[in-house]
Amino acid sequence: MATTQNTYELTYIVNSVISDEQVKDLISRVTAYISEAGGEIIEVDEWGQRRLAYPIQKKRNGYYVNMYFLSTGTIVPRLERALEIDDNVLRYMTLRMDAKMIRHYEESKTRRAAILAADPTLPSDNDDEDED
Amino acid sequence: MSNSTFREPAYVDYKDVELIKRSLNEQGKILPRRITNVSAKFQRQLTTAVKRARHMALIPFVSDSLK
Repeated sequence: MATTQNTYELTYIVNSVISDEQVKDLISRVTAYISEAGGEIIEVDEWGQRRLAYPIQKKRNGYYVNMYFLSTGTIVPRLERALEIDDNVLRYMTLRMDAKMIRHYEESKTRRAAILAADPTLPSDNDDEDED
Repeated sequence: MSNSTFREPAYVDYKDVELIKRSLNEQGKILPRRITNVSAKFQRQLTTAVKRARHMALIPFVSDSLK
C-alpha cells in the first residue's frame, strides 16, 4: 500500500486483578496484533501497577502500558475496537504523533537513558505499592 | 508556576503528571492564565494534556477532599 505511515502512541490500562500471566498475555496479544497488521513496534514501556486517580469499573489499581509504533492509520480503528471489546482493558488512548511530539519523545528517551547510565543501581521504573 | 524560572516546554505531555499538577488547584481545576502568567500557547496545550491525563486516570476529575 502506498498510504503514509505515522508514529502512534498508545497507552492502555489493563485490569490488574487478573493474574500476571494474563496481563503479559494480553500485552503480547496487542503487540502481535499491531505487527501482524504491518505495524512496526518502536517501544513497549510497561509502567506496571499504578494507583488510579479515581476508580474505574470499581477498580482502584491498573496496569499501565505505554507503547509506540509506526504504522498506517488503517489499523488504528481496528485496534481500538479490539481494545474496546476486551473487558480487561479499562482505558486506552491512541495519539498520532506529530513532529513536536516525536521530538519530545526522543528527548525524554535520551534523558531517561542518561539518568539510568548515571545510576545503574536504579531500576528502569519504580514499582508502586501492590494491592488489589 | 508563576515564578520566572519556569521554562515552558515545547510540548506538554499528558504523562508528565508533575508538570500538570502544578497547574491545577486543590480541586483539580486548571488554574487560569491570569494567575500562572503562562503563554496562551502553553495554556492551550495544557488544557489538552489535562483532559488526556484525566481520561487515563493519572489525575482526578475532581479531588474535593471534603471531610
